[in-house]
Amino acid sequence: MDTPFRSPLALMLRYGLLSILAFMVVCPLAWLALASLRPQAEIFQPVSEFGWHTFIPSRLTLDNYRALWNGDFPLAVKNSVFVAFMTVVFGIVVNALAGFAFAAFDFRGKNLLFLLVIISFMMPFEAIVLPLYVMIRAFGWANSYQALIVPEIANGMVIFLFRQFFASIPRDFYEAARVDGASWLYIFTRIAMPLSWPTIATSGLMLFLAQWDSFFWPVVAASAPDYAVVQVAIARNINFEQNDWGGLFASTNIAILLGTIPFLLIQRFYVRTLISGGIK
Amino acid sequence: MISSRWTPYLFLAPALAGLLIFRLIPIVVAAGGSLTGVSLMGDMRFVGLENFEYLMTDPEFWSSLNITLLFNVIINPLQLAVAFGLALLVFRPLRGVWLYRTLLVLPMAVSTGISAVLFGLFLDGNLGPLNGFLEWIGIGAQPFHRSADQALYTLIGIATWKGAGYWMLFLLAGLYSIPSTVHEAAAIDGASAWQRFRHVTLPLMRKPMAFVLVADTAINFLFFAPVYILTSGGPSGSTSVLMFQAYRAAFTFSDIGRSLAVSTILLAIILVIVVLEFRLLRSPEERA
Repeated sequence: MDTPFRSPLALMLRYGLLSILAFMVVCPLAWLALASLRPQAEIFQPVSEFGWHTFIPSRLTLDNYRALWNGDFPLAVKNSVFVAFMTVVFGIVVNALAGFAFAAFDFRGKNLLFLLVIISFMMPFEAIVLPLYVMIRAFGWANSYQALIVPEIANGMVIFLFRQFFASIPRDFYEAARVDGASWLYIFTRIAMPLSWPTIATSGLMLFLAQWDSFFWPVVAASAPDYAVVQVAIARNINFEQNDWGGLFASTNIAILLGTIPFLLIQRFYVRTLISGGIK
Repeated sequence: MISSRWTPYLFLAPALAGLLIFRLIPIVVAAGGSLTGVSLMGDMRFVGLENFEYLMTDPEFWSSLNITLLFNVIINPLQLAVAFGLALLVFRPLRGVWLYRTLLVLPMAVSTGISAVLFGLFLDGNLGPLNGFLEWIGIGAQPFHRSADQALYTLIGIATWKGAGYWMLFLLAGLYSIPSTVHEAAAIDGASAWQRFRHVTLPLMRKPMAFVLVADTAINFLFFAPVYILTSGGPSGSTSVLMFQAYRAAFTFSDIGRSLAVSTILLAIILVIVVLEFRLLRSPEERA
């Protein structure tokens, strides 16, 4: 369709630019992944003599990872996985129920309540971290799993996504099931939810990323070592003078993989949902 | 069986309770708490606008407000421009473009705190590769987040590395929603590629671009993790954004009232932004 974009020069320019940008994104990640496999003694070597060995270790070893096993890092991974899993499971159920209500019913106050949902997803969570901390402390929830999980369950963006999806199913479909004597709960669990798995995948990733990306809230609400999630545990390690750089490299690399692997598996649905105008 | 009249409310109850308790009531708590002070005995008392009066005469608060504004004035247009450039590059069909798109959005999955740690290592003077590279090509090593002159810009760079791909997706959605017939019609009329970009694509992208700019601003006014992890507001206060001031008031000075006063000011800014965002999102037909 576009002659200027089809010329070999333009094509090369586009590949060139994309490759440079992709390199800028990947380079720090790849460097860290390789550096985490270096022997401890070699970690300070690269800066003085820049060259291929800045990136490629002379010898690959899992020592840095093995050493992590005995510290408190495995607990932080366990905390993160548990908190993320609970947020995703409860978040999907709770927000799908609400999205279904907005799509399948007409009721008093619907527009006002939907406005509340929209406003809540435009206001970033970080805006209310400090007052929420005052509340959580009053509940006696400071330094607990529920402080990390419960506030992240209801999510306006996810309610919105589910509403969009359930609204795309004709209401006659629900009504027909009603006529056959099905309860609304049955319709939701057995008819609506099984149809919505791409939305479930996207929402699950969204809830996971919201939890995974949060930093201010876990630092404020649950910084005790027993409840520290991965990002808090690692941030604490970079703050004072290090003598275990290998451990910091390895734990940071694990933290990157914990986020990027689920993301790579599901991002196709996620990107498609965003691009198809699910959110705009 | 439950009567159908109550069913929608039962379905909504858990989510709405969550939004009410964890999103809306905190706004009220911030506003109310900003009017209190903690005495030496630890009990709260009403102090009226004292916390705000204190902030208004506190040079540290004004300098922090300035830094937050400077940060936002630079980072939001920058991220928008980068995200738009990326969206244009991956929009048209190209062999292997999905791979580039995947790589460009990958930083979305790197937790903000972790990306700060990653760059703390990558830019480090002793063990990071970037300074080695800069010396090798003759520019010389840079202090980055360890100097008052470069720290804020280093944080802007890190946040852009992390955020540009995410905003690219919203702009990509905007590009896909432009009907291809519009471009074809312009091409038939003899418009060059540049003219079509300038007079067709750009005007039609105004709304998605405005949305990204506003939504990004709301997030960047609350910028915190990289400051906490890499600079602690320094060197010499050069990265002490408002969110960090609010954190320090609460956890370094144990002054919850003052911390909530800073939070209230930030919330007021955010609510203005949300209203703007809402007007942008409301019924596109109104503007078309």
